[in-house]
Amino acid sequence: MAMMDSRSRIPLKPIATRNCDDPLIDYKEIDYLAKFLTPQAQIHSRKRSGFCAQCQRQLKAAIKRARHLGLLPFVG
Amino acid sequence: MATLYEGMFLLDNQVVRTDWARAKAVITDALTKHGAKVLTARRWDERKLAYTIRGRRRATYLLTFFELGGDGVNGMRRDLDLDERVLRYLMLGVEALPEGELEKSQAELADGFTVPSPPPDEDTAEEESEMVEEAPAAEEMAPEGIDAEAAAALEGN
Repeated sequence: MAMMDSRSRIPLKPIATRNCDDPLIDYKEIDYLAKFLTPQAQIHSRKRSGFCAQCQRQLKAAIKRARHLGLLPFVG
Repeated sequence: MATLYEGMFLLDNQVVRTDWARAKAVITDALTKHGAKVLTARRWDERKLAYTIRGRRRATYLLTFFELGGDGVNGMRRDLDLDERVLRYLMLGVEALPEGELEKSQAELADGFTVPSPPPDEDTAEEESEMVEEAPAAEEMAPEGIDAEAAAALEGN
């Protein structure tokens, strides 16, 4: 079943697909990481990002590392 | 047993402006002091920060790869925490040195390689000037608004 936006009823597509065998998501790839943040700089859910559980955990760690170094905001 | 670490250090631009070699030595000296073997150290980027860190809006990132035994980690962290020139740091254990990292680091050591001087913290200056400009405008507007309201109230009475 396609994921729906509760307000607009427009089906949301996952942001990206990723092969789990790829190298780890790096905290230095800021443009890539920024795609998985909302305008308020919250991390998108797995449903929205389209990642598996392992990749989502990698994404979370990378975003939090980038935030620590001032590369990404905590709050948008 | 020594572990390979990746270290990203956030340096104050005031130190970088004076001399890049000296700024780099701040980190490499701190690492070697605690027994680390520095494999690479290079300027990764100079950029605007997503949020202010110790009042700085811009900073320079130094990326290093080094080998360090477990005994030296805590002492090095303590030294880096106390050093005001280092705004933030991140150390991660890695399995191997990334491809091309050694070449990039050596390119920085070559003759004729110059590190561009960091731009000034313009944002702070701009904000201050905006606040100065906005403040009188607000004062000018307030009496007019109050007068208009008072006049309307008087007319109503």
